[in-house]
Amino acid sequence: MTELYASAPVPIRNDLAAAHARAWKRIGGPGTWWDGAQRVAIAAETRHAPSCALCRQRKEALSPAAVEGRHDRIGDLPEIVVEVVHCVRTDPGRLTERWFRGIISAGLSEEQYVEAVSIVAHVVAIDTMARGLGIAPLPLPQPEPGPPSRYRPPAAKPGGAWVAWLEPADLTDREAGIYPEGRPSANIMKAMSLVPNEVRSFFDVVSHQYQGPLAMRDFSREYRAISHAQIELLAARVSALNQCLY
Amino acid sequence: MLLRASGVTQNRDYDLTAVTSVAEGDAGVPHGRPLLRFAEAVLGEDDAVLANVRAELMEVLHPQGLVDAAAVVGLFNAIDRVADATGIPLEAEKAEASADFRAALGLDRFAVGARG
Repeated sequence: MTELYASAPVPIRNDLAAAHARAWKRIGGPGTWWDGAQRVAIAAETRHAPSCALCRQRKEALSPAAVEGRHDRIGDLPEIVVEVVHCVRTDPGRLTERWFRGIISAGLSEEQYVEAVSIVAHVVAIDTMARGLGIAPLPLPQPEPGPPSRYRPPAAKPGGAWVAWLEPADLTDREAGIYPEGRPSANIMKAMSLVPNEVRSFFDVVSHQYQGPLAMRDFSREYRAISHAQIELLAARVSALNQCLY
Repeated sequence: MLLRASGVTQNRDYDLTAVTSVAEGDAGVPHGRPLLRFAEAVLGEDDAVLANVRAELMEVLHPQGLVDAAAVVGLFNAIDRVADATGIPLEAEKAEASADFRAALGLDRFAVGARG
């Protein structure tokens, strides 16, 4: 068991702990559109969101858009970033394209938005697992210095999602390996392809916290301590609770 | 949809209605009931309920099974957010293959395009 989960009451698979350690290091480092300090601030705000009074009022409202106010925040991220982080964390099943377009009109770029969503997703994946196991959330990483790379894939274009994405045929060397070979790329992988490093990072976590693309569909053997059917039952129930069709 | 695929390959007929309602049955999956209750408890706010179902799962699935169950719940709690926040549609082949049970279970009301 790696140092990260050395005090956990149950043994965490080494590959899983190592994947979390890599994810945490990436969150603390300079990203593509946010620097390390901003990325850690987004992670911290993700953890803070469930205690935000405005988010709770919106969650209980028939229409979240009808409730106005300011978010309770812990850092100095711009209000529009806090809005994204809190809404994606606390009420994702009622996000709308109209809300997304409003965020972009207010000045956040699609690239910044995708990277912020990715950081929220990393933190939710790792923190929710910790809650399930009854262990304390990992301390957030220390920010590392350095500017964001600001790389936008030249072939990214509008597809079927709210955000632009990359089709597999349009990948250049700089985006190589973000999609599995030999099978169609799922939309969930294309979703964050406007920021290729976030696809790499998040699906590194996916492969160890769930299953890799081949194991996922190989029903001839089991790769985890619970069966494919047990895994998919959990996945389906979580998605139903989150009111997520995908 | 992979739950159904798993059932086909295992020659089992899983009860998909257990996925959309409060866990009454086990969906035909071994230890399905505590797994469903575990998912609900992790996403819920009652720590005592979670502690109880966690202990129950530890008993039947042992520590490694509990870790893998918690990992999957965590991961899908995140994947749902990526899907919802980016507005991705269901792929055409998945939509076609799942049309019958989406209709039967009323799942299409959760589609991104169905939101106001």
